[in-house]
Amino acid sequence: MDQDIIFTPLQFRNLQVKNRIFRSSISGRFDNEDGSLTQTRINWECMFAKGGTGAIISSYVPVLMEGRIIAGYATVHRDEYISYWQKLGEAVHSFDNCKFIMQLSHSGRQMDIPGVHNYTRRALSSTSRKESLHGFLCRAMSRQEIDHTVGAFARGAWRAREAGLDGVELHAANGYLFTQFLSSGINDRKDEYGGSLANRTRFLLDVIQAIRAEVGSGFHLQVKISAIDRNNVIPWEGKGNTLQDSVQVARWCEAAGADAMHVSTGSLFPHPLNPPGDFSFETITATYDAMISSGVDTLRNYFLFRYRALRPVFRWIWFRMKRGLPVEGISLDEARAIKAAVKIPVLSTGGWQTASKIRAAISDDSCDGVAIARSLVANPDLPRFWKSGEDLPPRPCTYCNRCLLNAPKNPMGCYEPKRFPSHEAMVEQLMTIYKAHPILRVPDPAEISL
Amino acid sequence: MNREAPVTAVQDSLHRRGRLRIPLYLLLVLVFLIGIVGAVLAAILLWQVSQHRTPRYAEAVEHFKYGSIGAEPFSGIPYRIWRALPKLFPEHFQGRDDYTAFGFLYENDVNGRPRDVPIGIARRVYRGIEVVWFNCATCHTGTISVAAGNQHASRRVIPGMPSNNLDLHRFLAFLLEAGADERLSPDRLITAINEIGPKLGPIEKALYRWYIIPTLREGLVLRRSRLMPLLAAQKSSWGPGRVDTFNPYKLIQAKMSFGSLEPKEIVGMADFPAIFQQGPRATMHLHWDGNNTSLAERNLSAAMGAGVTADSADHEAIERVAKWLLDLRPPPSPHQPESAAVARGQDIYMKACAACHGYQGAHGYEFKGERIGQVEPNAGLRVDPSRLDSYTEPFRAIQLSEFFKGTKYQFKEFRKTDGYANVPLDGLWLRAPYLHNGAVPTLADLLEPPEKRPKDFIRGIDTLDPHRGGFVAPPCNSVTLSAGAFCFDTNRPGNGNDGHLYGTDFSATEKSDLLAYLLTF
Repeated sequence: MDQDIIFTPLQFRNLQVKNRIFRSSISGRFDNEDGSLTQTRINWECMFAKGGTGAIISSYVPVLMEGRIIAGYATVHRDEYISYWQKLGEAVHSFDNCKFIMQLSHSGRQMDIPGVHNYTRRALSSTSRKESLHGFLCRAMSRQEIDHTVGAFARGAWRAREAGLDGVELHAANGYLFTQFLSSGINDRKDEYGGSLANRTRFLLDVIQAIRAEVGSGFHLQVKISAIDRNNVIPWEGKGNTLQDSVQVARWCEAAGADAMHVSTGSLFPHPLNPPGDFSFETITATYDAMISSGVDTLRNYFLFRYRALRPVFRWIWFRMKRGLPVEGISLDEARAIKAAVKIPVLSTGGWQTASKIRAAISDDSCDGVAIARSLVANPDLPRFWKSGEDLPPRPCTYCNRCLLNAPKNPMGCYEPKRFPSHEAMVEQLMTIYKAHPILRVPDPAEISL
Repeated sequence: MNREAPVTAVQDSLHRRGRLRIPLYLLLVLVFLIGIVGAVLAAILLWQVSQHRTPRYAEAVEHFKYGSIGAEPFSGIPYRIWRALPKLFPEHFQGRDDYTAFGFLYENDVNGRPRDVPIGIARRVYRGIEVVWFNCATCHTGTISVAAGNQHASRRVIPGMPSNNLDLHRFLAFLLEAGADERLSPDRLITAINEIGPKLGPIEKALYRWYIIPTLREGLVLRRSRLMPLLAAQKSSWGPGRVDTFNPYKLIQAKMSFGSLEPKEIVGMADFPAIFQQGPRATMHLHWDGNNTSLAERNLSAAMGAGVTADSADHEAIERVAKWLLDLRPPPSPHQPESAAVARGQDIYMKACAACHGYQGAHGYEFKGERIGQVEPNAGLRVDPSRLDSYTEPFRAIQLSEFFKGTKYQFKEFRKTDGYANVPLDGLWLRAPYLHNGAVPTLADLLEPPEKRPKDFIRGIDTLDPHRGGFVAPPCNSVTLSAGAFCFDTNRPGNGNDGHLYGTDFSATEKSDLLAYLLTF
């Protein structure tokens, strides 16, 4: 039998990954308020490395504190954090040379929980129009602020390289700062960063060029984009970028020095199509209170989630876009279109879980690899199942999305009750990431400020 | 006290927005308050229109006189308007604030005061509005006065006898006229209602102004347009104690056009019948022309004549009346003819009359006789044919196909006959004038050949005539017509006093003896 294509190495210009399985960005509020990462994060990422994943794409890592999406996630805005990331990379590499790619990000206006650093100010964005779903406030960035941010991305990439990590991914998908510039449904600027597609892509290309200038061409750099914005989740919003727009953006990224494209969908997060699957009103009612103070429309949403009589309104808003689309490989058609337009490898994300479907997608040149989050959270050893010839694990991810909806308030993990014999068993599973404890020590008196 | 500064950018924005939106919020609060007031008003209105009830009377006779049979919803008049009409149209009410001018009868309540509605007028709350209209007693409760000249002291109300006082024609004509009279405008009517009191509340007032009065007027105007051509063509009043049974029925309930009626059918007046002892009549041909052999159908048809519709009929109430009537006996005759003459008269009666009419026995009326309750062809009877001719096949076809269609009450038994039914004569003493159309004032006159029967006489006097049998009925030219009295002219269409020649050829002695016996019925 020929070698299973899932388990053949994927060769990028500057990086080889042992198989085609990438852990897509996902994590919880594991880290410190100052942005320094913790042992828990290391434990979390090692769980997937041990499970056989080829490469781990970190959860979003802000390059500036003002670009945090949720406080309590590790950042890369300081040089002194390099050593922490170095330790994380070392840990991941120890599991059969699993690779680690840092996802450099900036929330822009999509700041779910601003934290003490950010709650007194409006978030930076391409626009001053509030975010459409939660009513997050923002203001349009000045040219100086754009330049400053471009530089911060370059420094973030440099810190990643200095930490010995295997590459960086620019999170230019799912509604964060890059999307806010790219999307015609959001970007209302009148300067050279708004208007035409070329202008809207300028910020992303500036960052790629700055990174290349900072770290050279030998460090792996990939770009994650939303192939179709579908920005009209709130019906009166503009639809945003089309697939044709995104194909062009991918070509420009390739030309600017990107080593790979990672194809997702949707101009906000979460989005009805990303992550695809169900929406548990009872779960969001239990966790969304953590976000009520974050936006001016959040209380309205809470009522829509909380009261059964109002739920049909949100249900219609949320589910009308999903009709007719599969959950698994929901964006594969878009990945195929982009792969046909570029020469660099293309990763596809969106509900992947079945070996045969992934095999088919890679075999027919629709993509070169798949990035998976929820299915790996449910079964971190999913690659081992596939390797043993199984198509699906015995207790697969149900795409209930309870992991996503718990994120603002609770530890990341699988919250699907059907997958556990009891609530206690589920909690025990969630707590396993705290199993490897940091070594506690008595601080040096100089480390204690008065 | 200084307001605490906002902590977050979101709070700051919400505070600023709050100031900008104060007018909007005030507007929303205003709209909300208006909505609350509207909702309360709507709830009151909804509660009001959901009210449907009618008084229940423990005694069957009270139920007969005052209980509703379901005529009010689609035929009735709101009670407050009923009370106000005498005030607005005093010339029709002879200046009184009740309906006695039309022959309606009032009884006293437990406190000795006249009741606010007469016998034969029932009350029902329909869609929150109290409405009044006819029941069975309207046409079937009359009075007698035993001693002439002392009417008020000895007047006696007898449920089940013909309503000898009620001038239904005049009452209906008044209502139809009032519907087109400017005095029935909301302003004047509401003023009159409030003067009588209690005053209408604001919601009630609005309801009367915008819904109840316009609806009533519209209904009256519609009835006027349907009935006026008929009343004009009949040329003369029906007179007290009489009704045209089927012609208004054709135009209102059956929705036939006046133009579709044949000339010979448009005068169909007949006396209100007595309705005693319905049980023994159950197998007979009912109605004057014997057109139905089902008591239940005849009762329901009569209820429709009173204003009941298929949707509004209170079948339980109608059946309660019907059950009570099964064995309701007429009061015994107060006449005391010489007993020997009675015995002789009975012999004559048994030979000449009993086969068709049954007879008065020692213990009550005997409903026995070869032809009792059967239809007698008018070719032999030769009485006035108008009532017979007024019931037609086209109308019967509508009765059978449309009325209570698809229900267990749908009519099946109506037939077109060729004569008049031989009726039992129980309670004969209070059923004058005689023949189906009340064209012969007394029993003594009925034993005379038609040419010797009175050509005209006064109807509407309830004083008994102990010698001739029936009520005192002087010739029209002998007295000055008092209020409520009516000159019955036998020469007018439908009023003919021909026919029923049985006994007219007896000798004077035989007639005297026969009359003595008849006075005991």
